[in-house]
Amino acid sequence: MSVLAPIICDNGTGYSKVGFAGNSDPSFVFPTAIATRGSASQQSNAPAVPSKPGHLASKRGVEDLDFFIGDEALANAKTPGYGVHYPIRHGMIDNWDHMERYWEQTIFKYLRAEPEDHYFLLTEPPLNAPENREQTAEIFFESFNIKGLYIAVQAVLALAASWSSNRVTDRTLTGTVIDSGDGVTHVIPVAEGYVIGSAIKHIPIAGRDISQFVLNLMRERGEMATVPPEDQLRVASKVKENYSYVCQDIVKEFRKYDAEPYKHFERYEGEHSVTGRTSDTERFLAPEIFFNPEIYSSDFLTPLPEIVDEVIQQSPIDVRRGLYKNIVLSGGSTMFQHFGQRLKRDLKQLVDGRLDARQLASGSLQKSSGVDVDVISHKRQRLLWFGGSLLASLPEFYTSCHTKAQYDEIGPSICRRYQIFGSAT
Amino acid sequence: MILLEPHNVIIQTTLSEKILKPSSVDVQFVDYDGVRFHLSTPERKTVLLLSMHIRCWDELVKYGALNVLKREYGSLLQPQSEPEYNVSLAIDLEQLPASNEDRESFIMSIALFKRNALAAPFEAGFTSQKSLESAGAGTGELMQIHYRDEEAIYIQASHDRVTVIFSTVFRDETDRIYGKVFLQEFVDARRQPSIQNAPQVLYSNRDPPLEIRHLPNLRNTEDTGYVTFLFRDYLHYHIKCSKAYMHSRMRHRVAEFQKVLNRAKTEVATSEKKTVSGRTLVSR
Repeated sequence: MSVLAPIICDNGTGYSKVGFAGNSDPSFVFPTAIATRGSASQQSNAPAVPSKPGHLASKRGVEDLDFFIGDEALANAKTPGYGVHYPIRHGMIDNWDHMERYWEQTIFKYLRAEPEDHYFLLTEPPLNAPENREQTAEIFFESFNIKGLYIAVQAVLALAASWSSNRVTDRTLTGTVIDSGDGVTHVIPVAEGYVIGSAIKHIPIAGRDISQFVLNLMRERGEMATVPPEDQLRVASKVKENYSYVCQDIVKEFRKYDAEPYKHFERYEGEHSVTGRTSDTERFLAPEIFFNPEIYSSDFLTPLPEIVDEVIQQSPIDVRRGLYKNIVLSGGSTMFQHFGQRLKRDLKQLVDGRLDARQLASGSLQKSSGVDVDVISHKRQRLLWFGGSLLASLPEFYTSCHTKAQYDEIGPSICRRYQIFGSAT
Repeated sequence: MILLEPHNVIIQTTLSEKILKPSSVDVQFVDYDGVRFHLSTPERKTVLLLSMHIRCWDELVKYGALNVLKREYGSLLQPQSEPEYNVSLAIDLEQLPASNEDRESFIMSIALFKRNALAAPFEAGFTSQKSLESAGAGTGELMQIHYRDEEAIYIQASHDRVTVIFSTVFRDETDRIYGKVFLQEFVDARRQPSIQNAPQVLYSNRDPPLEIRHLPNLRNTEDTGYVTFLFRDYLHYHIKCSKAYMHSRMRHRVAEFQKVLNRAKTEVATSEKKTVSGRTLVSR
């Protein structure tokens, strides 16, 4: 029998992306939510107690099977008796009971796959605790008896996904990943598939902050007055998604808007008849908070290019060239137009400035050959999942997996270390 | 979710999406028992080609699967299937039923592709039971469907019943125990007066049931079980569910014990330590 395609399961804080390797898009994308019986406040680390022992067949009910996941969970949120839980918080699995049942239904109801016949590729956030990896392995090997498991770091998958970009010539797993989602932005250096943990940096500016910033700007101009308060943030984030772009020179851009104010206005029509309005300078100011954070927050003031530079400078010296050369953007908040070009330009300025200063200090005796800086941006929505799909369709994938036999022999500790493609096991 | 639905959710959702917004697609996915599907748009965006590969196709054809599929899908069935697959359907999105209800039932019938293919031997079994009933005695042909590598379905009609036997292999020790307990429940549950008319379910470990005992090449090992009238996937799904339930009970217990242990901890008295010069010592 030919081997069935491995299953890629990318469980994020907000959405889960699941599907089969070899496809370009996941088969299912649904919220990582589970609706169980019992109120949401009552944390169900106490499972339903079986009823009194009576007849053998009526010994226990099926309360533990009475739950919904994904979109169905949200649809049932208002049904009396059900409470919605989000088993993943900040990228880490928070409630293992819910997660186990969530996976159970993902596999059996949606994918309709026999877990015994498949290899699985799961994702984990950077700096995940090894204990979490062990727990995951326990669930997958003991409950589901899967054939083999590979737990990939999300940043590495983003690098792998960029192999498909035609600007990338060599298939390398070295590069810097800028992952900006809704909650937080990470800058992660990866050298030959290994995450350099000591150099990872977090930036507290991400999608939600940009939406908030757009909202503030629109409120100041009084355009939000007609919008009902519960919709304001949503409208702001729609404006952000549809109309924002990154400018190359903020002063020029302002002048352009001052000269011809009406040319650059875009009209946004919401679903309410009252919400016809224009969006103004926030079109280019919104993503600008990555490059000039002082316009939004007062406690975080380092621009993104500087953070990226710092991260690379903290990495081992022999991989820095590779890190500068392959900067990959992933996540929704990096999908603004021209984001990549702007980042590349600012970073290049920083690097060249430093090289020039060096040269001057050495009395112009030593000349540097220069450092390549390149930023690769993607149009793809499900970048991580696509990377996983690419990796899992390689023949090496099966040799890098932890198999059931290994698990039975050694135990969950085999998953403490994660394996890298192409390296000896 | 107690029952596993017979239809394939991926086919259902993809088709519903494509009807609203036709676009090119090329996906591969699976269903239970090693069935592989390939959904693609080889020529035009509006013509979807759905191909299925199923292990026991030759056996199914022998028991009339093609007739059943022809009855269900008519002209959708392609005379020549895609290479590497057993059977193909072409769905033209421009020639769909007009009303919403008809569309939904059409999508559903496509999503039941695998079930319909597997239904043929069962239908053959029931018809031969009908004819045997009038005869009053005798047994029909024993049909075997090797739907997995080491597992098979046996269907035999006799004058008063149709016997369906699923053999299943438990690769895991724990699964086997769970399976045994689980299936024992079926035997016990039938003693309840309310469901005495339900089809009889028998389970035997190791010893194959009498009906198929004469067959050669049966695996006679400890990890093979024989289930009469129960779907294998359903069984395996519930074993997984029971395990998940046990795990959640175990986690709960551990959390309880942890609480007890934490209560038993002695409190360490904390007092400020000072040096001679009056500075405070801070532990790092």
